[in-house]
Amino acid sequence: MKPLLKTGIITLLTFATFILSTTNVNAQTKNETDKTYIKIEVDGLSCPFCAYGLEKKLKQAGSKDVLINLEEGEATMSVPIDQQPTEEELRKIVKDAGFTPKEITFSKTPFKIKQDEK
Amino acid sequence: MKNKVVFVLIAAFLGTLFLFSCRGEQEKKTEINSQWKFVKNIDLNNVNPIGIVAQENFLWLSDVDNNRIVKINLDGKIIESFDGFQRPMHIAIQKDKIFVPEYTSDTVKIIENGNISTLALKENTDAIAGIAVDENTVAVADFYNHRIILQQEDKVTILGKEGHNDGELYYPTDVAIKSDLIYVADAYNNRVQVFDLKGNYVRMIGWNENIKVATGLIVTDTQVIIADFEGNRVLIYDLNGNLLQIVSGKFNQPTDIEIVANKMYVVNYKGSLISVFYK
Repeated sequence: MKPLLKTGIITLLTFATFILSTTNVNAQTKNETDKTYIKIEVDGLSCPFCAYGLEKKLKQAGSKDVLINLEEGEATMSVPIDQQPTEEELRKIVKDAGFTPKEITFSKTPFKIKQDEK
Repeated sequence: MKNKVVFVLIAAFLGTLFLFSCRGEQEKKTEINSQWKFVKNIDLNNVNPIGIVAQENFLWLSDVDNNRIVKINLDGKIIESFDGFQRPMHIAIQKDKIFVPEYTSDTVKIIENGNISTLALKENTDAIAGIAVDENTVAVADFYNHRIILQQEDKVTILGKEGHNDGELYYPTDVAIKSDLIYVADAYNNRVQVFDLKGNYVRMIGWNENIKVATGLIVTDTQVIIADFEGNRVLIYDLNGNLLQIVSGKFNQPTDIEIVANKMYVVNYKGSLISVFYK
């Protein structure tokens, strides 16, 4: 009886772990697909006042995870799909922040970020 | 005979007075003209500073990348850290109060004895890049509005407007108050501009030295010192704007300067270090 109980508990725990991990993956996948990832290449991004100025303006546009890379001269961010700004709106935000926008890319998957070498 | 003695005494008195005044002038001249010499670098551990102020034997830094204010000793060791700031920029000190402008939230926080409070501003700003405090006068650099807001209790005075002419500003990043004058790091006009308390333009400093982004400044009793961010230099002027010295070859994107006891501390945004000079 005891070995049977032990086997039963192990089976249940394994099953529960599998279910939880699947749910988590599904949630993560769902979360990712609910977002649009945006990369903005910017001219003139040189100092921290510029970088964090652009960060401030892009956050005001609805993103919570703006990342500025001074070395690469680009900003990456994500927004919920239903709040996705148009390319024109983004270009205006970048110009208002004092920069010249270059290429703007929209993606359904996150961009690979190069680490800023400081 | 009596008249002669009086005359000699007066002449001796005037002569002594003259000699003393000459000596005072000489000392002032020596103090202005003596050169800053490099001493060492202080390594900072994962701190990317914008602003610096001194308090006794400690330095306070705004660590903008890590959204915190740190207090370090003169070896660079972090003694205290205050987290949760929103892109803190050029800070100021008055007695035990550290004034911290938050670039993202457009508020000024005050750290005093470990507690944090908020300074009420009477004018809306868009990205506060720097602050100066002198008794009841507060000046903030309003980066995106290209102006300085001068707050004296209930009175608000606006200094400058967007532009490139005398008295106009283009993305100001730092400000200092000295002897009833307001000194502004007019960053993207690559110069420092001086205003009086009424907002009148007084003079320009540094326009002739090809500065590439004047991000920070300090004003002492005799000198105006400017951080040239892209040029990797620090430029030293007298109060009238005459160039005294250019220091280069020691910096990696300098952003701010502090002076304590004949030592000049220059913070470098890149490379996590403070360059120390002695005069």
